[in-house]
Amino acid sequence: MAEHTAGKDQRVEMRAENLHQGMRLGPVFYIVESQQISAFAAALHTANPLYQGDSPLSPPTMRLNDYALLIAQHFKGGKGGVHARHRGEFFEPVRAGQAVRVDGTVTVTERKRGKFYFTLEYETRDATDNRLLMRQAITSVLINPQGRLA
Amino acid sequence: MNAAKELAVGSHVAGVPYLLDDAAAQAYERGLKHPPRRRPRVNIHTDRAAASRAGFAAPIAGGEQTIAVAMQLVVDTFGERFLHGGGFEVALIKPVVFGDTIAAHARIARAEEDRLELDVWVENQHGAQVLTGTARVRGAQP
Repeated sequence: MAEHTAGKDQRVEMRAENLHQGMRLGPVFYIVESQQISAFAAALHTANPLYQGDSPLSPPTMRLNDYALLIAQHFKGGKGGVHARHRGEFFEPVRAGQAVRVDGTVTVTERKRGKFYFTLEYETRDATDNRLLMRQAITSVLINPQGRLA
Repeated sequence: MNAAKELAVGSHVAGVPYLLDDAAAQAYERGLKHPPRRRPRVNIHTDRAAASRAGFAAPIAGGEQTIAVAMQLVVDTFGERFLHGGGFEVALIKPVVFGDTIAAHARIARAEEDRLELDVWVENQHGAQVLTGTARVRGAQP
């Protein structure tokens, strides 16, 4: 795992040659904030009562973005990617105030039709007792250093 | 709403059309937890030149937001039955450009003893599908 030690950025460049099948990313820890839930629900124009009250639940797709935290912890730079496919399994809702841990593994790297695809599978667990909350997989097409999908 | 008892195989539900413009994207960004950044993002979502180099006519919306719109329809229809034991698998098949209006759809494809299987898709204002896939929710009975 790349770390920020002694102020030196030890992350590697986000490019195809640095992405390998089996690469483990994380863990990332954070606490789910009710304000974030409110903001996310507002952005989706939903007044669903699940997202309100004293102990609101997190919209399930609010945690899709955890892949970005994993990638940013390990990689720097890069031009980003284009989201191609996504899979999610929900075992238990994530709640406001809950401390969570996210871990990921790069499970697929492949070139198809001149493009570089990678799949990152990641799990979100309760940080205190390790209960599995969600399991996801994102497949993206990496944008190369020249800014192209190749 | 928890409508599975009322929804038979073949039933279709549709979400309210969602204008995915700059304001909607900024609102969505406020709901995410971001990694710390040292510089502003310049990428296919924020910059016309970056989008052009990647082959897009204009900056495109993040695929996550389209997925979120689609899955919110499932949450609003089935509630916690999606959050406990549900799931989805989708492909983003066409870019969403800022200013597009998208609408989520779901159709009950199959009812099994312990779950419902849904076909889900999102269309833009031209009727073109931008996302397609499946979702599942727990059955109505515990």
